[in-house]
Amino acid sequence: MNLVLAPWLEVVLRALAVLVAFLVLPLLVGQTEHKVMAHMQGRLGPMYAGGFHGWAQLVADGVKFVQKEDITPARADRQVFRLAPFVALIPYLVALAVIPLSPKVVGATVDASVVLVLAVIGVGIIGTLMAGWASANKYSLLGAMRAAAQLVSYELPMVLAVASVALAAGTLSLVGIGNAWNPWWLLWQLPGAVVFLVSALAELQRPPFDMPLADSEIVFGAFTEYTGLRFAFFLLAEYAGIVVMSLLFAVLFLGGWHGPFEPWVGWVWTLLKGFLVAVVVIWLRVSWPRMREDQLQRLAWVWLVPMALFQLAITAVGVVVFPR
Amino acid sequence: MGDGILPGLVKGLGTTARSLTRRTHTAEYPDVAPALPPRSRGVIALTEENCTSCMLCARECPDWCIYIDSHKEELPPTTPGGRARQRNVLDRFAIDFSLCMYCGICIEACPFDALHWSPEFEYAETDIRDLLHEKDRLGAWMATVPPPPALDPGSVDPAEVTAAAKPPRGAAGAGPRAGSAPRAGAGAPGRTRGDGPAARPTRVRPESPAGSDRAAGSLQGASAAAPERPAADRAVDATKPMPALGDTGSPAAEGDSTQVLPEVTPDEEGRE
Amino acid sequence: MTTRDIVFVAVGVVTALSALLSVTTKHVVHAALWLLVSLGSLAGAYLVLGQELVGLVQLLVYVGAIVVLVLFALMLTRAPIGPHAEIDTPWWQRAAGAVLGAATTALLASLLLPLLSGATVDLDAPAATTPRIAQAVFGTWVWPFELLSVLLLVALVGAFAVSRLVLHREDPAADGAVRRAEGVRR
Repeated sequence: MNLVLAPWLEVVLRALAVLVAFLVLPLLVGQTEHKVMAHMQGRLGPMYAGGFHGWAQLVADGVKFVQKEDITPARADRQVFRLAPFVALIPYLVALAVIPLSPKVVGATVDASVVLVLAVIGVGIIGTLMAGWASANKYSLLGAMRAAAQLVSYELPMVLAVASVALAAGTLSLVGIGNAWNPWWLLWQLPGAVVFLVSALAELQRPPFDMPLADSEIVFGAFTEYTGLRFAFFLLAEYAGIVVMSLLFAVLFLGGWHGPFEPWVGWVWTLLKGFLVAVVVIWLRVSWPRMREDQLQRLAWVWLVPMALFQLAITAVGVVVFPR
Repeated sequence: MGDGILPGLVKGLGTTARSLTRRTHTAEYPDVAPALPPRSRGVIALTEENCTSCMLCARECPDWCIYIDSHKEELPPTTPGGRARQRNVLDRFAIDFSLCMYCGICIEACPFDALHWSPEFEYAETDIRDLLHEKDRLGAWMATVPPPPALDPGSVDPAEVTAAAKPPRGAAGAGPRAGSAPRAGAGAPGRTRGDGPAARPTRVRPESPAGSDRAAGSLQGASAAAPERPAADRAVDATKPMPALGDTGSPAAEGDSTQVLPEVTPDEEGRE
Repeated sequence: MTTRDIVFVAVGVVTALSALLSVTTKHVVHAALWLLVSLGSLAGAYLVLGQELVGLVQLLVYVGAIVVLVLFALMLTRAPIGPHAEIDTPWWQRAAGAVLGAATTALLASLLLPLLSGATVDLDAPAATTPRIAQAVFGTWVWPFELLSVLLLVALVGAFAVSRLVLHREDPAADGAVRRAEGVRR
């Protein structure tokens, strides 16, 4: 890593690396979901695409999506409808760029990267809102409304949980937080970790928080009218979201690159921990039923927000009593 | 958030985690042949020689997917001065598997074991009309019919065994029984029911194991409009023209087989 | 003219244009979306000026939360797709809005007056701005900040009270309906 590159070349290379990670990691998570979910349900999952245990299933799906007709409903708001998938997708690309795999392996170093990640994830919901409203479809609109209500409710506990970690580390930089982590945090930040995981699931609209999609009642929520590549972008956004949230959880609460042989393979540890979190996300999807809308709101405001505030309090006490 | 939610959630996680470690139930069908249970209902096979064109199956079929055409033939008398006999010759036997609902009623209804379940199920077609299996195709399925299950120990003998053990009617073995020796030979496998594949009528070609009278009948050619018909009561009394079955059929069924003729024109009926 | 100048001007133009579009467009939801672009590029302007935290908080709070709420409320009111005459503003409202906007602009522009005497800020010096903002907010300006939070709390309680009042108003028919609904709920 002592290579000295021209600044522009380094920027291009970093952007390229982030883009590759952005395209590969969600597919990896998607394939893992295919297989883990299948085996948890006593199935095999995809077995043919690519030859070995269907490893290329998502590639095949991508090819299929490209071939499909790109339909815009006649009464839709055309520009907004067409723009929405990108609005949903790009924030996760930006978020992935600033999440460090190790202090050295990071797309872009930003001072307040935690705030940046939280901010752009919040922007992602606008894509869903735009999609839902511009589709001129009642199911889409219902889905978008549910998504917005859910996001507004769960953003608060999530920000509070992250604030607790930032407070404990004394910095808003993800690299700084990762460096400040020590195993005691597993206990100290446990309530915050739970709050973060639950609200991350809710922000991703993953089961059991998939009320905005709820295919058994509102078709596919905001994405009902989408076909082809635009629909694929929404799906990619969902899985990129899982990647971002899992890596974020790994860095914030599981110590990211801390582990044996850290100087050399720190980034592997981060990836491994993030992957484990992603598997947990999939596991929860398989195991738990969908929550009702009122239960969702109740969980956020009655349980998560107080829990996050409690975590903030014990973090503050910890910071004052055991100053570093 | 009442009581019992958290244990329930943990239990759910445990259930999925456990099934993650267990074997999957997926049947990898085209790659691995399925282990079908015995007596699977795949396709209906036809033993053409057993069929008397009695139409029972076609009538019982709930969705009318069995098509049978037949005509009558005159059999020359086996003894000099005897009377000519009539028998039904099957022209067409077809099952439309695009209509069939695999209820198996035709197989239950058949009094002469002409229809059998075969476990073969891979006969999908790209054209729905090809699902109409004619008798040669139905006959070809006979090769795949499994042997019937063995009888329970201590159960009574099967009907055909008891029938074969009975002393012949008319102690002297009069004229009608003259042809019984070759027929008994043909029907012999029926007595070893449950012993293995040989116990099953697995012939595909109608003429291969046929009795002498059958061969003679087919050689004689078609004579649908018989000049002189025997009386119905005598036909019941007569030996059956079913070589493969031997003496196993019940008398009532025999009577049916002659009375339920498919191509009985009104004037013929009147003569009977 | 440095790169920073060019980027700043570009972001500023985007901000101003989208703000203008958001008040002139006839589509209600488009107005909210243009507002979104405007607020987002304003965050970009903060970033260009080296105020990273301010820019990100702008993004987090205004783009990620406030506009989402605005859109949410708009969609609840069955916002139509395309322009709609009924929800167009009358001329006097537009005039009042223009006057208010001009006044606010003048007020904010007065902050730029010191620039005339040649005041400059060095943006290239690497400075950890986050602690400085924290000190400003929680030190110098802590009382206004706390006052604002109390105001928000009062507004929250007020909104809650209003929503509860509507539920129990003294209209016999509605009251009966509410009671029945509550009975069903129990």
